[in-house]
Amino acid sequence: MGKKSIIIFLLSIAVFTILCGTLHAVEVETLVRDAVKYYRGNASFSVVDMTIHRPGWERTLTIKAWTRGEKDSLFTIIAPPKDNGNGTLKKGKEMWIFNPRVNRVIKLPPSMMSQSWMGSDFSNNDLAKSDSIINDYTHKITGTEIHAGKKVFVITSMPKPDAPVVWGMQKLRVREDLIFLSQEFYDEDLLLVKTMTGTKIQMIGGKLFPRVWKMQKEDKEDEYTLLEYRELLFKENLPGELFTLSSLKNPGR
Amino acid sequence: MYLQMAWRNIWRNPRRTIVIMTAVIIGVWAMIFLGALMRGISDQMVRNGIMTLTGHVQVHHAGFRKDPVIENSIDKPEVVEAALSKILPRDARWTTRVRVDAIASNARHSGGVTLVGIDPEQEAGISFIRQAITEGTYLKAGDKYGIIVGEALADKFDTKLGRKLVLMSQDTNGDIASRAFRITGIFKAEMETTEKQFVFVTITAARKMLKLGNQISEVSILLADYKNADRVADDLRGVLPSVSYDVQTWQELLPFVTAVLKMYDWFIYLWFLVIFIAMGFGIVNTILMAVFERIREFGLLKALGMKPWWIVKEILTESFFLLILGMVAGNALGFLSVFALADTGIDLSALSEGMEFAGMSRVIYPVIAIKDIVAANLVVLILGLLVSAYPAIKAARFTPVKAMAHT
Repeated sequence: MGKKSIIIFLLSIAVFTILCGTLHAVEVETLVRDAVKYYRGNASFSVVDMTIHRPGWERTLTIKAWTRGEKDSLFTIIAPPKDNGNGTLKKGKEMWIFNPRVNRVIKLPPSMMSQSWMGSDFSNNDLAKSDSIINDYTHKITGTEIHAGKKVFVITSMPKPDAPVVWGMQKLRVREDLIFLSQEFYDEDLLLVKTMTGTKIQMIGGKLFPRVWKMQKEDKEDEYTLLEYRELLFKENLPGELFTLSSLKNPGR
Repeated sequence: MYLQMAWRNIWRNPRRTIVIMTAVIIGVWAMIFLGALMRGISDQMVRNGIMTLTGHVQVHHAGFRKDPVIENSIDKPEVVEAALSKILPRDARWTTRVRVDAIASNARHSGGVTLVGIDPEQEAGISFIRQAITEGTYLKAGDKYGIIVGEALADKFDTKLGRKLVLMSQDTNGDIASRAFRITGIFKAEMETTEKQFVFVTITAARKMLKLGNQISEVSILLADYKNADRVADDLRGVLPSVSYDVQTWQELLPFVTAVLKMYDWFIYLWFLVIFIAMGFGIVNTILMAVFERIREFGLLKALGMKPWWIVKEILTESFFLLILGMVAGNALGFLSVFALADTGIDLSALSEGMEFAGMSRVIYPVIAIKDIVAANLVVLILGLLVSAYPAIKAARFTPVKAMAHT
């Protein structure tokens, strides 16, 4: 009798821990998903200054951006005048770019996906696979920190075994109010390759949001790309015709 | 009588004979050795070309050679396979491949490669890849995520066995296909460009990635004897309509190699001629000297009643002996030096970067071609006798009176 009850007790403990484990995993998944959702909103409109800094030079582009859900986005450069009208449309995994000088829309071939976007430290892939962090990784909370009086979860994300991603690991810092503080990209030796950090958390577009984002290559101090939001509006939805090739050619119509 | 006299005559002045023989020996040796070296280079080029995924005959979709994209795949491989099993001789081997341009990337690097999906077992007997693995293992049939990359590519990407490589290409729907592979093997090829260009996965993995059914990009056929390539290709063309299929022999697939081969033929003969011209002047000069030294002797022979024609014959026989002796020794020396290098070859890796563009190897193994040997010897013998005719005729023209006056 006593033996049986011990077994039952042990079993229930085992089941409990397993349940806890899965619950925990589900929680992290939702945390990441919610953070991405918070970051992207249902739909958004923004005006961003992108500063590309290199040892010898620096240049700033002003970009108008519309996003919808996790998959669709449209970017158009509005300044400097030289680049005015250059656009990028992303739908699902596909991307098109538009150059007003030659009046041509080009669908980005796979060969260009790993090239940098507009000369910045973001690659076309970073944009095209923006939902990769949700779908291609398994997440685990590996620590907590305190930031501005709030709890920050440090999440280690390992790629799923067969996921077509180049990174060996990503490390995310998500504040308890779902604000992304940083995203670190590691190679397969788990050496840091580049880091994206969000700073200057302020109220914009009706919610707290990091106003400045910085993408920095690890071993190159003076090479980085800075994104600074000038305007940001979160919306419930945006019309579908905004994310089409014709609006890529005539943005902001 | 001529033979005996000539033989004795040439050894009357051994030093002169040795000098002229040395010239002939060096000339013949240079012809044979450098000829063999050039044949070695061109042989290796052909072999490299054929082993580097070419084979002797290939079948493609009609548009593939112009535009090697996934849309130009052979839709009905079973038609081709039926034709092959009907036409090919039994000792021929063949394999099917999927081949597309792709982008390989890892965390720090990315670059263009040619993705080749192979049937590991069939491929093993046909191209270089089975023998070229230096680290890790060869692909196994059905391996879903294994990839074999070249040593130079692994260096360029700072990667090694067991690491991930993400490949991107366009699938049959025109969408971007990407798939993560793990490096299971590293190969070393004759040429660095091959190592950098090709990555190998199983044909099943390639099809899954590109959303292909059972389509293939190419069939590569290796015959027992490459000389039959034209005949087999013609037979295949008879069965496979040219509207949808493209059958080519290695000569057509490797136009550059074919052109270089032709050029080399002429190079070699030109080279023989150049060497001979240098040698010919030596021969004429020495024999002319010998003739002038022996003016009194010829005068005496004439006075004794020897006909001018006999004197010409006599001197030609002498030079014939000289040439034959030099040729025998030169051939022997040439063969010896070729055989001495047959195993080790000549290592040109220090220069190989510049040479590789032409598909040459890092190590050259000289190869003796019978037609070159025959040509070299004929050139020396016939032209040698021809140039000796001049001193011979000169000798025949001496009259006894003139010879007496000459002291």
